[in-house]
Amino acid sequence: MRNWPSAVISSGPRRRPVPGGRVTVLAAAISAAVALAAAGCGSSGSGAGKQVAASAKQTIVFATQGLGSEGTATTTAVKAFEKLHPNITVQILNLSPTSDVAFEQLVQRFTAGSVTPDVITSDVIWPAQFAQSGWLANLSQFKPDTGAYFPAQMATGEYKGGVYAIPWFINAEGLYYRTDLIKTPPTTPAELFSDATAAMKADPALKEGLAFEGDKYEGAVTAFQSMGGDISTSNLANIDTPANKAVLTMMASAITSHVAPSAVSTWEEGQVQNAWLSGQTPFALNWPYIFALSDGKGCQPGCNPVFNKTGWVPFPSPSGTPQASLGGDDLAVNGKSTHQAAAWEFIQYLSSNSAQIARAISAGDPPSVKSAYGQQLYSAAPFFQQEQAVYAAATPRPVTPVYSQISSQLQTMISSVLTGGASPSAALSSTAPTVKQLMSTVSSGG
Amino acid sequence: MTARQEPAAPAAAIAAAGAGQRRHGSFSLAARDRRFGYGLVAPAVIVLLAITAFPLVYNVWNSFHHVDYLFPAALGSFAGVHNYSEMFTGGQFLPSLYRTLGFTAVSVAVEFAIGLALALALNRRFHGRPLVRAAILIPWAVPTVVSGLLWKSMFDPQNGFVNYILQSLHLPLAHTTWLGQTWTAWAAILVADAWRNTPFIALLLLAGLQVIPRDVYEAAKIDGAGVLRTFVRITLPILKPAIMVALIFRTLSSFLIFDVIYAMTNGGPGDSTQVLAYLNWFAMFNESNYGLGAAISVALMVISLIIAAIYVAAFRTEQVV
Repeated sequence: MRNWPSAVISSGPRRRPVPGGRVTVLAAAISAAVALAAAGCGSSGSGAGKQVAASAKQTIVFATQGLGSEGTATTTAVKAFEKLHPNITVQILNLSPTSDVAFEQLVQRFTAGSVTPDVITSDVIWPAQFAQSGWLANLSQFKPDTGAYFPAQMATGEYKGGVYAIPWFINAEGLYYRTDLIKTPPTTPAELFSDATAAMKADPALKEGLAFEGDKYEGAVTAFQSMGGDISTSNLANIDTPANKAVLTMMASAITSHVAPSAVSTWEEGQVQNAWLSGQTPFALNWPYIFALSDGKGCQPGCNPVFNKTGWVPFPSPSGTPQASLGGDDLAVNGKSTHQAAAWEFIQYLSSNSAQIARAISAGDPPSVKSAYGQQLYSAAPFFQQEQAVYAAATPRPVTPVYSQISSQLQTMISSVLTGGASPSAALSSTAPTVKQLMSTVSSGG
Repeated sequence: MTARQEPAAPAAAIAAAGAGQRRHGSFSLAARDRRFGYGLVAPAVIVLLAITAFPLVYNVWNSFHHVDYLFPAALGSFAGVHNYSEMFTGGQFLPSLYRTLGFTAVSVAVEFAIGLALALALNRRFHGRPLVRAAILIPWAVPTVVSGLLWKSMFDPQNGFVNYILQSLHLPLAHTTWLGQTWTAWAAILVADAWRNTPFIALLLLAGLQVIPRDVYEAAKIDGAGVLRTFVRITLPILKPAIMVALIFRTLSSFLIFDVIYAMTNGGPGDSTQVLAYLNWFAMFNESNYGLGAAISVALMVISLIIAAIYVAAFRTEQVV
């Protein structure tokens, strides 16, 4: 180690610096330039090749996320599928558990024109962008039963008259409340704030009144939407509405009135989950997976401070109509895949009742298929019954190929309001024109 | 390599035609040697060209074409300066450039000052010096994203250790939401960046210090020079080449800062820590607009070259003096 730097600065010992130093300077400049340039690459490819029949012996690659119990559930499902279809082998390609990173990993494969993965797990906000770019196979050819799924999630896979993704499991964001501290769940933001303040006074173990994710990432957008923010496709032409202003004001005042800690402006789901499971907050905004952690399989009294004290409702919005931001994962097929028929068989299996219920019980992933909600599921995991109230309020994020750019604008807007960098009205009025312009680029050019 | 074959070297053969047998032999041997040498370096040169020259040219090509995957119909068509004008009309480029330059100036100054102090301290003899020298290298061996996430959790206002220490010592700022305000977020980024990169500067400077002969210092002492005078007149001038290398490397890599910010703030709060490399990443991997991303890359490259040129110029004038 010690030799290396002295080799770099071989001109060091001499009294007068020699031109060797200048060479290093130039080398540094060139290497910087080159490192930068290497960042840019992409290529276009042609259409899908010759298709392999579903009955032929073949291997398909399934790109998915999920660690721990989710990963185990996927492996189990794959094994069961291979037993039913001995001619098809499914190879799992694990993507990053972080949604944004998994997105990049897929985009890189698609831009490179790769024929694998054949089947991908797609966050509900991706199919429109992927379909617009021509990366997904149109599944209409297989005549999917679109009526079997929750309509809000089915809509995330439909784009320009085609079906590009099939719901795998649904997610919606709602308000967790402590049933031992809060007798009846609040129905207005004012009630929520006063209940939270009262609970904090009554129980010194509570560190805050409300936890939500306000860091600058996709979660800030779902939090905004779950609290009542209107970002429906029709509203994107002008998001600067009194209703949106009311939601932003409520988010900011949660912090200024010390109901929520200022730290929520840097929190993601993980921190909210910790705050909830450690029993330091009476209210928390989060996804259904919390239920599986607090009350789920293998948990008994005393395994965490909130065991059997967990209630879940849609967040009371300022407008009075609750919304629960729709999340969840869809399944889609690579447009360049030559195994599309086998891929479709696999998707059909994953969205079958038995596979959906098995995954819900073992990994806590709520079924996307409506008929899966029944006695078999409830007897194994009773909390799924309570979850339906939140799914009924499920509101999708806009289905548009420029969603990631719009989301980025909204993230900046919410982040600056939560950190006191801008007032709700100033943030809305500066963001609205950009969002409108982004929407117009697709409608005119796409 | 076809080593057994007698190489046909027309030029060498013609040149040596009039000469004697012996000369002819030595000439063709030299040519053969040279050709063998070229053959040996060829694979490396080809690989280098493939991974450096090709992407560079390809990137510049991309910057003048429509490579926006949202509009597949237009993929690859000539765009003129459209990507460059979009870069400026987007309204993010200039503010990000100023932020990046500001951060570069501050971080390089801070890291250099601490690095120099560290190097001077480590150059003295003391008990356990090898251990300390090895220890300061540890932060440098930690991947940047890991160190970013590490510091993000340490700066967490509720469960992080920074506020815990401040509170335990009854110091101010113990209730700061570090990553939630513009200037404190920058401070946190600076700490994370300095923690990781200062050892690099210290190491380069230490290597420079180690080759200064002791007798020079002894002579200065005999001549009655004090500590400060010795440092300014002897240590600094001899150390200058090492300083230049350290500054150039750090300035350019600081100008391209991305991973710490990506891991810690994602450009937030608002867009107050959004730097040029972040903008570049966003255009390419979030918008899948490789044309726009390439334009930003080219801009980054040009600015990097300008910075490098300024250092070269500064170095030249020093040399004349």
